Amino acid sequence: MKPEVDQILMITAGQIMLELAPNLAAQYAQGVAQLSALMAILSAQEYDRAAEIRASENREMREAFAELATLVDDAALKTRLGVAAATTDPSLRVSALNEANYALRDLLIALHEHIEALDGQAARAAETRLWSLLKTFAGRRRLYLPQG
Amino acid sequence: MSEDLSRKLAAYLRDRLGAHDLEVANLARIPGGASRETYRFRARYSEGGTSRDRGLILRRDPTASLIETERTTEFRAYQAFYGLGLPVPEPIALELEGGALERPFFVMEEIENCQVASIITADPYGAHRQTIGEQFWRNLGRIAGADPAAIGLGDLEGARTPEDCWRHELARWEKVVREDALEPQPIAHATIRWLKRNPPPPAKKISVVHGDYRTGNFLFDENGDIRAILDWEMAHLGDPLEDIGWAADPLWSHGDPSHPAGGIAREEAFRVWEAASGMTIDRAALRWWEVFASLKGLAIWISAAKEYAEGRNTEAVNAFSGWYCLAFHNQVLADRLGQEFGA
Repeated sequence: MKPEVDQILMITAGQIMLELAPNLAAQYAQGVAQLSALMAILSAQEYDRAAEIRASENREMREAFAELATLVDDAALKTRLGVAAATTDPSLRVSALNEANYALRDLLIALHEHIEALDGQAARAAETRLWSLLKTFAGRRRLYLPQG
Repeated sequence: MSEDLSRKLAAYLRDRLGAHDLEVANLARIPGGASRETYRFRARYSEGGTSRDRGLILRRDPTASLIETERTTEFRAYQAFYGLGLPVPEPIALELEGGALERPFFVMEEIENCQVASIITADPYGAHRQTIGEQFWRNLGRIAGADPAAIGLGDLEGARTPEDCWRHELARWEKVVREDALEPQPIAHATIRWLKRNPPPPAKKISVVHGDYRTGNFLFDENGDIRAILDWEMAHLGDPLEDIGWAADPLWSHGDPSHPAGGIAREEAFRVWEAASGMTIDRAALRWWEVFASLKGLAIWISAAKEYAEGRNTEAVNAFSGWYCLAFHNQVLADRLGQEFGA
């Protein structure tokens, strides 16, 4: 589709910031307009990457669950990890990816807490693995502001 | 609606200030965060035979607030630090019942001809960077050095013993994360567990903690003078390092964490604070409070996201905080703590 959604959002943001906001009389309205333009800029960033981010996170969490389940000594958690590791994302709709993402992140929290309580080198290596995962996730979701 | 509010406000102030000819003019809402509706107006009245034309600010509770705070806290902090000579607006009136304007509110002096730094501005202070940076940290040192009981704030909410400071604040914000998160937050939970496993030493003293002392929460003028420290609604008793951690957080650094709050260099800032407060900063303890600051940020942004997503407070600033700021602090914490674990 041309123009793409992100292009439309960026142009809209520019029009709000440069043409609409300066012509508003009320300071509060100016502030709302400027922040709304900023939200359009962030939305433009997210448009192109939203599905990719979520699909990547879901895949990487499943891989980590399959890999780290061997360390887990809690039978119920181990079963949950095995079941989750075998799931897939049948749809690339963001709402569907989010639903799976939330369930997987819940399990990631439980796994991380469990690993922290374990002794031994393998558990420490697993902690490093989990923090690497969290760093990757946070880095991908970072948004960038226009610098004024 | 604005006319109706003007009329009600004028009626209230006539009674409150004993100025029977008082008129409210130019009432206009201005940006002031999501936790209070903020309005600027002129109060014109005669006093002792002379005409007065005062710029005032009305801060009124919204229907839903970003952070549930006692509005008395903010008002009392203004009273206390105004009396101490710190740059804060003069507090005028506080109404907890809110009958006059339907919701609780307070009125304070407007500090005119000033500006606020935006966090998206790369160099907010220009030629005044050094002097504003020094004042920023000196003022914070003065807040930390004040004796809470001596300035009438000894009964503020917060920790009662130096040993309890970190536990009290962490419990407060952990509760927000647990109650307000609309989606699982693995970095927030991992951080909370790390903070509990690695507690800081007891506070060197119990101080008034501003709670939101940062770039964007003070007014400065064209001469580079800080004229008002604002937004005291999260003020409480605690470890003064808490305010340093928050003020030095990368979110408020205008893209350069080596110059926190966009002012002077980090170590210079800490020296200014130490001179003004009469205390020394335990760098290892500060590290804990800096990690905590980013966790507290996450909790506030999680709360903002909930308010917005559930339609209780759809101020654009809540969408921005709940999205951009949350993503920012997730990355700060993942980088900081990831390093601890070799990630």
